Amino acid sequence: MTQLVQALVLGLLIGGVYALMASGLTLIFGVMNIINVAHGALLILVAFLTWKTWSVTGIDPILLAVVMTPLMFGVGWLLYKGVLSRISGSSPGMSVLLTFGIAITIEGILNVTAGNKFRSATPSYFSQSFRILGISLPKAQVYGCIAAVLVLGLLYVVLAKTWTGRAIRATAQNPSGAALIGIQASGVAALAFAIGTATTGVGGSVLSVLYPFFPASHYDWISRLLGIIVLGGMGSLAGALVGAIVLGLAETLTATYVSLQWSTLIFYAVIMIVLLFRPQGLFGSRLRQDVMA
Amino acid sequence: MTTLGRIRALTSGRSGRLVPLLLFVVLVGYPVVFPFAIYEQGVLLLAFLLALMAVSWNIVSGFAGYVSLGHSVFLGLGAYTGGLLAEHFQVNPLWFMPVGGLVAFVAATLVGMVVLRARGHAFVIITIALLLAMQVLVNNFSQVTHGSNGVNVPLPTWSSDYQNMPFYYMFLALLAATVGFAAWVRRTKFGTGLLAIREDEDKAAAIGVNTTRYKVLAYAASAVPIGVAGVVYAYFLSFLNPIGAFSLLTSVTIVLSALLGGRGTLWGPVLGGFVVTIVTEVANVYGGGTDSRLLVLGLALVLVVLFLPRGVLPAISARLARRRAAAQTVEYTDQAGVASARTPIVVSPRSAPAAQTPGRTAAPLLEIRGAARSFGGLRAVDGVDLTVEAGSITALIGPNGSGKTTLFNLVTGAMSLGSGEIWFDGTRIDQLPPWERAHLGLGRTFQITRLFKSMTVLENVVAPLPTAGWGLMAKDAVSGHEAERARELLDFVGLGRFGAQQAGSLSYGQQKLVELAQVLMLEPKMILLDEPAGGINPTLINRMVEIIRDLNRQGIAFLVVEHNIPLVLDLCDPVAVLSRGQVIAQGPPSIVRADPAVLEAYLGPEWLPADPVPGPVLKPADLSVKGG
Repeated sequence: MTQLVQALVLGLLIGGVYALMASGLTLIFGVMNIINVAHGALLILVAFLTWKTWSVTGIDPILLAVVMTPLMFGVGWLLYKGVLSRISGSSPGMSVLLTFGIAITIEGILNVTAGNKFRSATPSYFSQSFRILGISLPKAQVYGCIAAVLVLGLLYVVLAKTWTGRAIRATAQNPSGAALIGIQASGVAALAFAIGTATTGVGGSVLSVLYPFFPASHYDWISRLLGIIVLGGMGSLAGALVGAIVLGLAETLTATYVSLQWSTLIFYAVIMIVLLFRPQGLFGSRLRQDVMA
Repeated sequence: MTTLGRIRALTSGRSGRLVPLLLFVVLVGYPVVFPFAIYEQGVLLLAFLLALMAVSWNIVSGFAGYVSLGHSVFLGLGAYTGGLLAEHFQVNPLWFMPVGGLVAFVAATLVGMVVLRARGHAFVIITIALLLAMQVLVNNFSQVTHGSNGVNVPLPTWSSDYQNMPFYYMFLALLAATVGFAAWVRRTKFGTGLLAIREDEDKAAAIGVNTTRYKVLAYAASAVPIGVAGVVYAYFLSFLNPIGAFSLLTSVTIVLSALLGGRGTLWGPVLGGFVVTIVTEVANVYGGGTDSRLLVLGLALVLVVLFLPRGVLPAISARLARRRAAAQTVEYTDQAGVASARTPIVVSPRSAPAAQTPGRTAAPLLEIRGAARSFGGLRAVDGVDLTVEAGSITALIGPNGSGKTTLFNLVTGAMSLGSGEIWFDGTRIDQLPPWERAHLGLGRTFQITRLFKSMTVLENVVAPLPTAGWGLMAKDAVSGHEAERARELLDFVGLGRFGAQQAGSLSYGQQKLVELAQVLMLEPKMILLDEPAGGINPTLINRMVEIIRDLNRQGIAFLVVEHNIPLVLDLCDPVAVLSRGQVIAQGPPSIVRADPAVLEAYLGPEWLPADPVPGPVLKPADLSVKGG
C-alpha cells in the first residue's frame, strides 16, 4: 500500500514538471500550428547552462530558473523573428523540418562545446527526502514541482486575464478572425513562441537536477512531451496538464511494478493507443474545417 | 554554349535519361579501373545507401507530402532481421534480404494503418517515436536481440582481396532498382494519386482516391527498399547495436539529402545523397571529427529549408523554364478552341442504361431523408428531404448561408452527417468514405475550383479513380488507356490543347471545365455542380450549359447550386429551394418562382406583396444574387 501511494505521489510530482514542459510546446502548436521539435533541445540547452552556472558559482540550480526564463523568452523571440517567421505561410511539413534542423543544430553545438557525456546538477539536497507518513518525497522533486506549478499558474493568469493572453487565444482559435479585429498575427506568433520557449527556462533548470542528461537526450524528451500533448489533444493547455499527470503516473507505476527500463516505452505506447481510438486526443476538438480558409 | 544551356540540354528530353545512364556506367567501371581506391569505394558505397534511402523516403514524404523524421528505423529493422537470422542459422545474411523487406513492409503497414487514417501531424510524431521506441525495444528484448551487447553477423566469405567491392556493387544495384521502382510509382495512377493527396487531400478523396490506402501503401513502399538494404548493411557492418542500427543521425541525413536535391523529384534525392555523403566525409576529415558533423548537418538543414526549400534540381529547372518562357510566348487562352466544336463521346457508360429506360418508376437516384448537421449551436442543415430523379437536372437554390454547400459536403462525404439518411442508386451512402461514394458514380465540382495546381492539366484529369480496384492503381498514368481517356475528356470540354500546361496557369473558367473533365473520369451517374457559372464569362457559361445538356442527354443526372437564377430557370427542372437549412419549396421552375415562401426567403418578409400574383413585378433576374 505504501509502495502504491509512494508511486502515485511521485507520479504526480513528475507529472507537474511534465505539464510545465509540455505547456510551452502545446501553446506554440495551438497558436502557430507548428510542432516545435526543437523544444526538447532547448530544454537540454537550458539544463546544460544551468549545470554550468551551478558548477561554477554554486547558485541553486532550480533557483536559476529566475534567470533562465527571461533568457529563454529572449531566445524564443529571436528564434521566431530570425528563423521561423521566414517560412510562415509555407506547408506544415517545412516547419517541422525547420525545427528539426534547429534541434540538430543545438545538439551539435552542445556536442562541440560541451562534449558528448552525461551530466547532472547535484545540489546539497539532491539525495535528501522529506518523510511524511512513511512516504519519502525527494526534495528535488518537490522543489521542481513547486516551481512548475508556480509558472503554470503565472501562464494561466497571463493567458486568461491579460489582453495579450486573449489575443494569443483568439489567434489560436481563428487566425483570420483575430486579424480582422486588429490583432497582428505575426506579433502574437512571436509572443506565443517566446512564452512557449520561456517555459523551457524553468523546465530545463528543473531537469538538470532531476535527470542526468547529455546532448542527444533531447530526442527522448521531445518524444515524451509529444506523447503528452497527443494524449491531451494538440494545442489544448488543459489537455497538456491532464496528459502530463496521466503519463507521469503511468511512468512511475510502470517503473515501480514492472521495471524501469520499460517505463519510457509507456509514452510511445500511449501515442499509438490514443491515435488508434481517439485521434483528436482527450481534450482536442474537431473544428469545422470548411470555412476556415 | 552557356553553362545553363548545357544543363538544360542534359536535363531535358532523352539526355535526361542519358546523364544518369552515363554516370551509372562510370560507377560500375570505377572499381575495375581503380581497384585499390579502397577508401573512395567505401565513401561511394555509403553514398549509394544514403541515396537509396532518400529515394525511398521521397515516395511518402516527397510524392505524398507526409514527412517522416525517423525513416532509418527501416534500415535498423532490416539489419536486425538479417543479422539475427544469419547468426541463428549461421548462414550468409544475404539470403534474408526478402525477409528484411517483408519486415519493413509489415511494420510500416501496421503503423501506417493506425496513424495515416487521420490527417495532419500525427504521422511525423509517430515517425520519431517509432525510431526511439525500436531502440528501447531492441535493448529490452535482450533474450532475442542480445540488447546492448549487439549482434555479431557472420563475416563475408569472399577473399579479402576483394575488400568491399562486392558491397559496392550490391548497394549500387539496390540503388538502381530503387530508382527504377520510384520512377515506376511516379508514372502510375497510384503516383498521381499521391501527388493529389499532397496538393489537396479532401479533393483527392472526392475524386475517388482512397486516401488512407494510398498513404499506407506509400509508407510501406518507402520502407521496403530500405529494409532490403538493411540486410546488406548488417553484412557490411558485421556488428549491430541498437543505437547504431536505429540511428537518428541517419534519419537526419536522409531528410537532408532528399530536401537538398529536390523533394518530390526523381533524381533530386540521388543527387542529395551523394552531396551529403561527400560533404559529411569532408567535414569528418577536415572539420574535427564526428562531433562537428551533427552541427554541420543541422545547420545545413536549417539553411536548406530557409533558402532552398524546393531543392537544387527544381530550382535549376525553374530557372530554365523562365528562360524558355522568355524565349517563346505560350498561348494561354484558347477562347476559340473552348467555344468551338467538341468531340462527341460517350462519357459515362454506366449512366447510359438508366437513361434508356423511359418512364420507369424506380426509386430516385439520390434520396436525402431528414439530413441534419450542426456546427456548435448552428444547425447549418436542419432536416433536409430532397430527391434527385435519374436523368434530371435538379437545381438547389437559396440565399447565402442557407446550407447548400454544406449539403453537398454531406452528400459527398467531405463532412459527416449528424442525423438522417442519404441513399444513392439503391445504396445507403451516408456512412461510406468519400472515395467509395465516388466509386458508386457520384462526382462533384467545387464552388472555388480545386485543381491540383502544380500538376499538369492531363495529370489532373488522369488522377480520379472510378473503381476501388488495385489493378487500376498500378495502371500507367502518362501513357496508355487511362491517359487516352483523359485526353478524350479534355477534347470533349474543348481543352485538348492544354494537356501539358500546369493547371494553375489556366484561367478560372478553364479550370472549371478541367474540373468537370476530372469528374467525368469517374464515369459518374450523377454530378453535383457547385456554382458552375460563378465568376466566368458569358461565352464560357454558354459552353458550360451546352456541356451539361450534352451530358444529361447521355443519362447523367445533375444537382446544381447556382445563383444565376435565369440560368437555373432555363436549365433545371425541378428546382428546390433551401432556406435556413430546410427545403422550403420544390417543383417546376414556374411554380417555385411564384412561391411566396421563396420570395420571403430571398427578399425578406417586408417585401412580400399584398397581391399574391407577383408575375409582372418579379422577373427572374431580380432573384439573381451573387456570391457564396
